[in-house]
Amino acid sequence: MIGTLETGYGVWSALYWLLGLVVLFIIVYFIYSLGGKTVKASGDKGKPFLSGNEMEKEKIHVKASNIYWGFTEALKSYYTPLKGGHTGNINDYVSWFVVVLAIVLILAGGL
Amino acid sequence: MILVLKSVIGACLVAFIGIVFGLLYKGIDRKLHAHMQMRVGPPVTQPFKDVRKLFLKENLVPENAVDWVFNLMPVISLVSVISILLYVPMGVDPILSTKGDLILVLYLLMLPAVCMILGGFASSSPYATVGAQREMVMMISYEFPLAVTIIAIVWRLSKIYSASNIFTLQFIAAHPLWNNVGVFGVIGLAILLAVLLIVTPIELSKIPFDVPEAETEIAGGLLAEYSGKNLGMFYISDAVKTVVMASIVVALFFPYNISQYFSFPQYVDYVIDFAFFLFKAFVVIFVSVTVVRTSFARLKIDQIAHMLWVPVTITSIIGLLLLYLDTVF
Repeated sequence: MIGTLETGYGVWSALYWLLGLVVLFIIVYFIYSLGGKTVKASGDKGKPFLSGNEMEKEKIHVKASNIYWGFTEALKSYYTPLKGGHTGNINDYVSWFVVVLAIVLILAGGL
Repeated sequence: MILVLKSVIGACLVAFIGIVFGLLYKGIDRKLHAHMQMRVGPPVTQPFKDVRKLFLKENLVPENAVDWVFNLMPVISLVSVISILLYVPMGVDPILSTKGDLILVLYLLMLPAVCMILGGFASSSPYATVGAQREMVMMISYEFPLAVTIIAIVWRLSKIYSASNIFTLQFIAAHPLWNNVGVFGVIGLAILLAVLLIVTPIELSKIPFDVPEAETEIAGGLLAEYSGKNLGMFYISDAVKTVVMASIVVALFFPYNISQYFSFPQYVDYVIDFAFFLFKAFVVIFVSVTVVRTSFARLKIDQIAHMLWVPVTITSIIGLLLLYLDTVF
C-alpha cells in the first residue's frame, strides 16, 4: 500500500504530490493553450541561431566532454594531482586500494 | 478527503499567487533596478505585458529540435515550480504541510533547472547546449552549500525539540531558531543566512550568476531558440521560482508574524500575515536579487563553480560548526 512515508524527522507522500501535480498540469496547460500556434520551422527560419555563421549541422555540435569544463577548471588544483595518480598501471591502483583500506581500518578501529 | 480537496483547491490558489506575485515582483525588481541605474525603467506591470505579447506570438520549433521535449519542458518547469508552493508557508501554514518536508522541497527545486537543461539540449542549438552545460555545472555546485545550510538549521532544531515532523517547513517556521540559540548560534545563523542569500540569485540564474543565459555572450543560451508561449512559460516559471526561493528564506530565517499584536477576527489575521509575508519576501528579493544584479558584472562559469565549492561551502560549514559549538557551550 502506498501511504505517507514518515521517517521520524520528516514526511513525504507521493500521492498528494501527484494529485497537486495533475491539478497544476491542467491549470498550466490551459494557460499554455491560450498562446499562439506552434509552428515547426523549416529552411532558414528553422536553423539554430549562430550569429549569422553558416555551418553544417555536423560541425555545430558541442562535445559532451565540454560539459564539466567550468567545474574541472574551477577545481583544477584538486583534479591535477588526482590525474597524476591515474597511471593506468594496475599495481598502482591495488596499492591505492590497500593504503586506503588500511587507513579506513585504522580509523574504524580507533574510533 | 478534506486533504484531497485542500490539495486541489490549494493547487489553484498557489498557482494564482505564484504567477501573479511572481510577475509583480519581477516588475518591481526591474523598476528598482532601473532607478538604481538612474533610468526611469518600465512600469511594474511590464512582465504581464511581456507574457501577453509572448503568448500572441508564433511558437517556433527549430527544424532539428526534439519537438515533444522542446514543447513539454516549459510546461513541466512551471508545474514543478508551482508545486513547491504547496509545501512552503506563506504567512499561513502550507497547504500540504503534513505531506512533504524540506528534503522534498530541495529536490523539487532542481526540477525547473532540469527542465531548462533538457529543453536546451532538445533545441539543437550550440548556444543552448553550452547554456545547458553551464546550468548543470551550477546545479552541482550550489546544491552542497544549500544542503549544508538547510541541514544545519534542522539539525540544531532537532537538538532543542523532539518532534516527528521536524523537517517540515511548517515546524521550522513555527519554531524560529534565533530565539533558542546562544551567541555562537546567532553568529552561525547569520553566516548561514548570508550563504542562502548568495545561493538565491545563483538558483535563480540572475546577474552576476546568469551564465546559462548570458545574452551578450551566448545569445540567451538555454533559451536561445525558445519563442512565443514556450518562452512565456519559462518567463513565468522564473518569476514563480523567485517567490519560492524568497519564501524558503523567509520560512527558515524570518518566520515571524504580526497578527498577534492586533485583535482582529481570524480571517483578517490571515490577510495581515500574508501581507507581511509578501513584504518580507520583497525585502529578500530586493537584497539578494535586485541589489546584487545592479552592483556586479557577470562572472565566468569557472569563477562561479570555484566560488561555490570553496569560499561559500567553507562558509556554510563554518556556520554549521558554530551551530554545533552552540550546543557544547
